Amino acid sequence: MKKLTSAPALFAAAGAFLVAGLLLAFLYAPVDASSMGFSQKIFYYHAPIAETALVAFGIAFVAAILYLRDPDPKWDRLSYVSVRLGLLFSVMVMVTGMIWGKAAWDAWWAWEPRLTTFLIVCFLYTAYFVLRQVVEEESRRATYAAVFAIVAFIDVPITFFATRYMPEGLHPVVIRAGDSGMEGSMFLSFMISMAGMTLLLAALVRADVAAARLKDEIDDLKTRIGG
Amino acid sequence: MSIEEGAKFVAAAYAVILAVVIAYYAMSARRVSALTRDVELLKAEVEKREAVSSGD
Repeated sequence: MKKLTSAPALFAAAGAFLVAGLLLAFLYAPVDASSMGFSQKIFYYHAPIAETALVAFGIAFVAAILYLRDPDPKWDRLSYVSVRLGLLFSVMVMVTGMIWGKAAWDAWWAWEPRLTTFLIVCFLYTAYFVLRQVVEEESRRATYAAVFAIVAFIDVPITFFATRYMPEGLHPVVIRAGDSGMEGSMFLSFMISMAGMTLLLAALVRADVAAARLKDEIDDLKTRIGG
Repeated sequence: MSIEEGAKFVAAAYAVILAVVIAYYAMSARRVSALTRDVELLKAEVEKREAVSSGD
């Protein structure tokens, strides 16, 4: 069981799902009949990356709460790594979204609810790293970062529900409760890509937490030899 | 928008994703191997120093 959840196994599973999702998106799912046409193919990775970014911030939020309850460095490491990966995925969402926006709306950017709230998410979590840089003492840094990760998470559900409660924006709401909002073949391609992206996040979190643990071990060993 | 026009945007978007994921994975793998090496070196140094101090 441990082997199945090891980073290499997760990377392999993520790769398999992502390749399968891509093949299904281009060879099985039809070209979108709306005005978006072929550019809609961006959706099959763009939307899963966006959902995964929000999941990563969710993990950071939970780990931050756990750190405040029990100040074990492992929760701080998990929160830190999740924020970093969430931000990485957010940057990919923003860039691919801008490319898709240019194709679909003929504009690289629009100040509409989903895009604006996602941009705020990016700025908030960038500030998280600034905070970590300015606080030197380890446990104080971890506590402040945990509080910040909890407060910053407020914008995550706002971003997720922005298109649902502020429908005047350009961003379409595709999936609703009880309705996938797309053809079966499109939905299957999307779900396979979604599984692949989630596995990729899990693999990266696992690998990065292991790296963060090694870094802490190095600091500890340096202290022991007085370096 | 024609398929040819749309394909340029689709290719650009997927290229960005691929480039970012591969670059991050490569950086992460390099970081882990460098850290593992450092841990081994430091552990050896600690053991050496402890052996010297216990021999005193």
